Amino acid sequence: MNILTGVNATSSALEAERIRMEVISQNIANAEVSHGPDGKPYQRQQVVFQTLLSQQPGMGGTAPGESGIQVARIEKDQRAPRLVFNPTSKDADANGMVAMPDINIHEEMADLITASRAFEANLAVVRNARTMALQTLSIGKR
Amino acid sequence: MIDALFSQTNYAAMKKMLDATALQHEAIASNLANVEKPGYKRMELNASFANELKSAIGSQDSEQIQSLQPSIAVDANAISNTRDGNTVQLEKELMNMNQNTIAHAVETQLVTGQLLRLRLAITGRPS
Repeated sequence: MNILTGVNATSSALEAERIRMEVISQNIANAEVSHGPDGKPYQRQQVVFQTLLSQQPGMGGTAPGESGIQVARIEKDQRAPRLVFNPTSKDADANGMVAMPDINIHEEMADLITASRAFEANLAVVRNARTMALQTLSIGKR
Repeated sequence: MIDALFSQTNYAAMKKMLDATALQHEAIASNLANVEKPGYKRMELNASFANELKSAIGSQDSEQIQSLQPSIAVDANAISNTRDGNTVQLEKELMNMNQNTIAHAVETQLVTGQLLRLRLAITGRPS
């Protein structure tokens, strides 16, 4: 039994979107890192979502219940590094080119806003579930 | 015998409607949780429930109302707006959710009103 209806799916989505935002902020923070721990330029990362099926079916019995979402894995984007001419850098090759992570800040910001809107939508679900639970509890009171 | 107090058609119908709104909220929660997942198909209260409830209320048969079972199912009519096959539209869902919450408020008020009238009939004083 669940007093707040639908919060299982919502809480899993909140967590998944938060992880997504963390990964995006990591991408932005590392946008200019040409020398990572492995000596290579930073590789852009992205999350892969997967469905988290609910253990119990919906109230209808055989109908599909609410389905949550979780981060299946965080994978590296395999796009090639961007080459920048900077002969004074330690990481420059024989031609003076430095391999930089190919991170497009506009792309990351658009993703970040999408993720935060999805997060807000899920918060609204919790808010409404709370309102509904309080109304239910007030049945019979004047 | 005392069952008769709580099996009037209106009361039974309100309870079913409360069940349906709770279930609808569950469906909306699931849709909004999966708003970013490619290929997700939005879920909805089964479309036939509203009609069945309406005809059951029309027939004034509380047994029939109580036997109704709302359920959530994949919305087959939803069309995907994006190329990833996800059929959830964020603003539509948020609108539905707010409507659903208001509907829930109305239904709880109706149930409360019914119970208060019952109490008034029993005690003879409005309290």
